[in-house]
Amino acid sequence: MTTMSWAAHPVGDAEVIQLSLDESERFSAIFDTYFGEIHRYVAQRLGADHAEDIVAETFLTAFRKRARYDPSLASVRAWLYGIATNLIGKHRRFEVRTLRALGRYGVDTDIPGHEEQVAAQVSAESLRPSLAAAMAGLNQRDRDVLLLVALAGLSHEEIATALDIPYGTVGSRLNRARKKLRATLGGTNPILESEEAGRG
Amino acid sequence: MDELKTIRELYGEPQADPILKARVRKRLEAELLRRRRRLSWTVAVAGLAVAAATAIAVPSVIGRAGPPNQVTEIAGAPYQTTAISGRSVLLAAATTAESGSAATGAYWRVRKLYRQTYPERLGRGENRYRVVESRLTEQWVARDGRVWSGSRALGARPMSGADEEAWRRDGSPTEWSSEGDVLSTSPDKGMLRAVTGKVPFSMAGHQMTFEQLRGLPADPAALKDWVTEAVRDVPGGSTDGVVADALSGLLWSKPSPPDVRAAAYRALADLPNVRYLGKATDEQGRAGAAFSFTLQAAPPVRRTLIIDPDSSQVLSSTVTGRPGVTGDQVEVVLDAGWTDDKPAVPDLP
Repeated sequence: MTTMSWAAHPVGDAEVIQLSLDESERFSAIFDTYFGEIHRYVAQRLGADHAEDIVAETFLTAFRKRARYDPSLASVRAWLYGIATNLIGKHRRFEVRTLRALGRYGVDTDIPGHEEQVAAQVSAESLRPSLAAAMAGLNQRDRDVLLLVALAGLSHEEIATALDIPYGTVGSRLNRARKKLRATLGGTNPILESEEAGRG
Repeated sequence: MDELKTIRELYGEPQADPILKARVRKRLEAELLRRRRRLSWTVAVAGLAVAAATAIAVPSVIGRAGPPNQVTEIAGAPYQTTAISGRSVLLAAATTAESGSAATGAYWRVRKLYRQTYPERLGRGENRYRVVESRLTEQWVARDGRVWSGSRALGARPMSGADEEAWRRDGSPTEWSSEGDVLSTSPDKGMLRAVTGKVPFSMAGHQMTFEQLRGLPADPAALKDWVTEAVRDVPGGSTDGVVADALSGLLWSKPSPPDVRAAAYRALADLPNVRYLGKATDEQGRAGAAFSFTLQAAPPVRRTLIIDPDSSQVLSSTVTGRPGVTGDQVEVVLDAGWTDDKPAVPDLP
């Protein structure tokens, strides 16, 4: 079993990509490792209905382009996020609809065992519609950077390589996105206001 | 960094679908197999593949077919008469299908007209209205399995008389911009793109090639067994609705051989959950017979097919009650068959 053998002999992601050039089945190890988080990211941005196609396309694109993957530039993880982000960019219509739905209904919070999060959810509830609208109103490229930080937890450097943009551009897009969000939410979001005040 | 936390709370944690990974893996595997014959994923994931093979093509529509309202009606007296005449209509279609012509031509082409209500109300101030979008689509499949998809928006129209009045009060706009979408009352230029990463056909979650379609059983009972087996592990349990949907799919969206189409009609004639609704005309004014079956019991989702027994062709499909969809989803089959034409942007009807 291919999967088992990889568990027994751990090899770095980048090496797996190298090996997969000759033995394409090696690529399944990459799929196994990253399917979960890439799907989560795509489903968050485009909604569960559209995520399946985009995630499949992400891994197919990665497979096709694996010869051009350069481990000295990006981790496999950041590389996959970059591919997924570019594909998401072609579906702005779905992303905007997803944000509209999030603004209206929020996510399904009816999960047992998360009672301690109720307070946070309730406080977020009141500003959800305006936050969703503000996210939808962002420039696509700014939103990409913001969400790669917020949802994927990538560093500025990883984002720069994933999206193939200069390091400084990551910071400027992120600042612009955050400034717009604060401008939109400033009057209604006590959390953001107090943080601003705290920074002086 | 508190706005990052706020953003995470907004997006939340998507629901994990346990069979999704297997399903996506199956798609990748099929694509990779198509690209390079040699691939041992199949072995590595044999167990997963079994689960994936039984996934359904449209999982959101299909659930446990239990049957609240329909059952009462079916159990009632009218059932006998309608069942008998409906059955004879389907058997007549089967006879016609059997004498259908075999595959000739370089491409399998299905040309359809879609009609769907735009999910948002348009207009300004007091004058809000719904519009219905129409779209022409064409799917082309070459004999070697390459797929092209053509699409052309035909324009949006106010949905009802009341919507039209509101539209006039709004100044009769011919274009709308709504949340990133641009709608127009006029047709667009259309597009044609090569589709990569997909196997041309699927049935009950089984990806299918021309060869596999040709290999389906031509005996009604065997075909029904084959389909029932294929949908056995569908989440929510194997259902009559799923079987009916998979069987009917062989009639209108795929180049099924004549004997397989005939078998599908005969198998449908024997399904207790397929209801005959009587004579009907489709949106193009073509006469046929309407049948329906439940795809999901609660909330109820139904598919109604209008078939032409004289040609054995499916004329139209209407899906009613699909969650998240406003109004009905109507597909009218304008043309389905083999052609030597080359893939191109769809012509206006």
